[in-house]
Amino acid sequence: MKGKILLLVVIAVVLGLAIAGCAEKKPSETPTPTPAKKETPVSTPTPAPTQPQVEKVVVGGTLSLSGKFANEGKLSLWGIQAALKWINDVHGGVNVGGKKVKLEFKYYDDESKKETVQSFYERLVTVDKADVLLAPYSSGLTLAAAPIAEKYGKLYVSHGGASDRIFEQGYEYVVQVLSPASKYQSGALDLIKSIDPSAKRVALIYEDNEFAKSVFRGAKEHAEELGFEVVFDKTYPKNPTDLTPLLSEMKAANPDIVLGGGHFADGQLLVTQMADLKVNAKFISIIVAPALPKFYEALGTRAEGIAGPGQWEIGVKYSPEAAKQAGLEYYGPTQEEFLKYFHEVAGEDVQPDYHAAEAAGAILAIAKAIDTAGTTDSKALRDTFSKLEFMTFFGNFKIDPQTGKQVGHEMVLFQWQGGKKVIIWPPEAATGEPYYPIPTWEEKEQGKLATK
Amino acid sequence: MRRYVRPMIPVIILYLTLLLVGLSSESRWQPVAFIMFYIALGQALNMFLGMTGYVDFGYVAFLALGSYGMALAFSSFSSLGLWVILLGFVLAIIMSSLLSLAVGAIALRLRGAYFAIATIGVNEGFRYLVEGVRLWGGSEGIIISSTMKDIFGSDLSNYISTFVADIMVFVIGFIAAFLTVYIINSRIGYALMAVREDEDAARVMGVFATKYKIMAFAMSAIFAGLIGASAWTLKLTYVFPEDVFNITYTVEAIAIVMLGGAGTLTGPIMGGLIYGFLRYYLSTVLPGFQLLVVAPLLVLIVTIFPEGVMGYVKRKVRNTRFEKYII
Amino acid sequence: MPFLEQLAGNLIYGAILGAVYGLATMGLSQIFGVLKIVNVGHGAFIMLGAFTAYWMFTLYSINPMLSIPIALVIGLSMGLAVFYTVIRRLIGAPELSSLLATFGIGIFLEELAKFFWGPDHRGYTWNIGSVNLSITLIPYSKLLAFGMSIIIALILYSIFQKTRIGTAIRAVVEDREGAMVCGVNVTRIYALSFAIGIGLTVMSGVLVTLFVPVGINPYMGGEYTLKAFVIAVLGGLSSPWGAFVGGFIFGLLENGSYTILSLFPNVEPFSLTRFVAFSVLLIILLVKPTGLMGGEGE
Repeated sequence: MKGKILLLVVIAVVLGLAIAGCAEKKPSETPTPTPAKKETPVSTPTPAPTQPQVEKVVVGGTLSLSGKFANEGKLSLWGIQAALKWINDVHGGVNVGGKKVKLEFKYYDDESKKETVQSFYERLVTVDKADVLLAPYSSGLTLAAAPIAEKYGKLYVSHGGASDRIFEQGYEYVVQVLSPASKYQSGALDLIKSIDPSAKRVALIYEDNEFAKSVFRGAKEHAEELGFEVVFDKTYPKNPTDLTPLLSEMKAANPDIVLGGGHFADGQLLVTQMADLKVNAKFISIIVAPALPKFYEALGTRAEGIAGPGQWEIGVKYSPEAAKQAGLEYYGPTQEEFLKYFHEVAGEDVQPDYHAAEAAGAILAIAKAIDTAGTTDSKALRDTFSKLEFMTFFGNFKIDPQTGKQVGHEMVLFQWQGGKKVIIWPPEAATGEPYYPIPTWEEKEQGKLATK
Repeated sequence: MRRYVRPMIPVIILYLTLLLVGLSSESRWQPVAFIMFYIALGQALNMFLGMTGYVDFGYVAFLALGSYGMALAFSSFSSLGLWVILLGFVLAIIMSSLLSLAVGAIALRLRGAYFAIATIGVNEGFRYLVEGVRLWGGSEGIIISSTMKDIFGSDLSNYISTFVADIMVFVIGFIAAFLTVYIINSRIGYALMAVREDEDAARVMGVFATKYKIMAFAMSAIFAGLIGASAWTLKLTYVFPEDVFNITYTVEAIAIVMLGGAGTLTGPIMGGLIYGFLRYYLSTVLPGFQLLVVAPLLVLIVTIFPEGVMGYVKRKVRNTRFEKYII
Repeated sequence: MPFLEQLAGNLIYGAILGAVYGLATMGLSQIFGVLKIVNVGHGAFIMLGAFTAYWMFTLYSINPMLSIPIALVIGLSMGLAVFYTVIRRLIGAPELSSLLATFGIGIFLEELAKFFWGPDHRGYTWNIGSVNLSITLIPYSKLLAFGMSIIIALILYSIFQKTRIGTAIRAVVEDREGAMVCGVNVTRIYALSFAIGIGLTVMSGVLVTLFVPVGINPYMGGEYTLKAFVIAVLGGLSSPWGAFVGGFIFGLLENGSYTILSLFPNVEPFSLTRFVAFSVLLIILLVKPTGLMGGEGE
């Protein structure tokens, strides 16, 4: 009995302390006027000398370190930390009012759940004094936290909200770093069009969710524009355990090209079951799942020849030289440097994928905008973003000034060849030749690889 | 009158404290709203679970329908101006109560765990119907941010999403608590208590068990619908079926009710407070590892207070002068 | 006749899937039947089984079939540990307080798995060929999953029917007080039943990977928990055999209805298969409120 009373008391004390703890923090909070725009009335690159000295710039955001997006969350965090290493250690920080200050990243774990994000974003703005916000992963969470970002008038940079619809909502401060969902499968179609005009029959097989649907709506439109014939267009619900019904129907439609996918688990399942049922196609491109090395580990040689779109891939040819040729400014680490920093934070045996790169790209874009504007005022930064055009290791950056949607960045298409990802499209970024048509499942069982 | 007022005193104190803590600084409003969501959720569920002893695992379907009700008001009747919010709440009430009547009429014939799990079937079935026949935007759901901006302008929409919606959850939770006290002291309450103790005996005694069960069920469902409409649609400005028809919320709601003590009035409030606070506070201290600490703590609390924290307190204050305040 | 061929192929796969579903549900029914505990952490134990198969295969190249007994041992010992640390204290407490406990345990296991193994989606490929039925191809690994599920279910059945322990467990299910009077140590029976339930569940995790060898990650269990609940109630909650039958029905419905639903225009047929499966569950329950093989009352 005593134990229980003790525990009750402990709970009461903890709750009491917590409330007191919140109160205690109050004095350290400088009085925050509601519209944060008034806080820093600087909109010109050269701030007034009366402005209080800035010690550091804080970028705040939630990452999904638990729950369904935990995998992406983990990679994003490493990507961000790698980018920060360059910004702070090599570049010496960001330029605010003519002085270099450190850029810090403050994050919480949103558990991939929509309830948590608003409270964490408010905390980031009010307690952690974040100057710029990094949006959470996924379109849903990006929408969920947007009202807070807009309320406090903070720049809200999206590194994982691919849905085109986010940018149709009229948000003032949302800026996208990655290519929108509708572009994901364009590369695969362009590639096939250029190398095999006889391949006409396209099958689409994808997850029934918001993201995959916008990807494949875009793919379907693009396919029809290019003169392909969409012979199969079906979805499967979340977390499928058996795709046989869909695959046997698709097999009967006899497609030349299969475009599909949704998330990690179903993408792996799709390929496994295509192999089980020997559903052959000349070319297979799957979103999300093939980008990770675990995909190849799980499927072994069955993954040979499978292609997938990526926002970025190791080996892309974005470099200071490429920027010079394109007449653009290059910002941030080179790819080798990024890989080096990434391995420092994540460990030698972990390879970054595009989730890591797009988060790093977002941080670099924020740093670049602050450097250019010389201030952390969100309005000034948003205006700067509208005009900025530059290149990082992640690719080009240019947004549509009206909506904040990314228009400069290009996706790549990679293919698993001999256990390695080779970039095969677009031609100017390619690190190898596409292997086409890909080996059949029967040939792969004999040990054939997608290498010449 | 006293029997209504006295039990409300602890409730009013708790709500007022929360409200004042929330309003005391900008940084505390959203965390309080986060906790409040769980409190209101627990309270709405408790109206049914606590009173009847029936568990509804598909409870989240009512929140989902409520959130769709609000979203549909915005997507179809945006010309109504400010009234659209009112219409949204009305739609939320209609949709969730209709579903509850349908489920109630059919599934409440099932007893105990069969009912509990049959309702999962209702929830999942509904979700895949929405996705399968592309009802209400299908799997792509409804996004109302731009409509809200068109109607209210940017500042007012942000204000609605970040403040008004939270206040609504407060109000809904408070009304739910008040109604719970009222029911406990009314004919319905006595009838339900009889049903909870022994349904067959109650029927023999002439209690229309099914009628009262459905009444409690529908009331509980309506509150769930209202929570969905404000805490999800108005606040987060979008509805995706995958996110709203998610059984985890039911499990969380049951966990909150059990944490505080089922059938007690202040139980869900304490439960929501402990659950929401632990999760929020620990994620600010240990981002990424909070659940590793929260989960064992929940297990620890339930092994120490199997009848819930307030259930324990209620037992302790029995035959003292506080008895009338804790029900 | 491509339509009938596809339907037949889908039904064959549906039957295999159904057997796996069935086995993955038996543990849940077992625990509910004896202890009246709803294990909402069910999926987390399936996840542990899947990871057992994965690590045994990738680290030590151990054939997944051999992982089955390993998983059983892991499951039994975890079941005992959880029972004596947590569940025992909740016997006699309000029925649902155990739900809070299993909810916490489930989250804890998921987070532990994430902590040690990371959130990656893993998988393994155990390709041992396939049999060609002319209408469809079936990998031997899936046939093994099918066969093993049935064998395990049969072994369990004979244990329950033929041994003293089994008789004692059935006695506790029928009448707890009566069994106690007859000298049955109820707590021990509870412990044993809980351990067997968890053991079965972890073991079924291995079989799940035989059917779906990919997408193994800490959060994979949620989907199975949901389906297991529904299948359990379809079969009649406290009857593990009912669970097995329920699994079959569910698998056949999910796969079989697709062929017909895909004929409708402007719908997402695969999503609708789940609508059909859940609707049939409700209809069955309305006709027979205690499930297909359930007894009288609760």
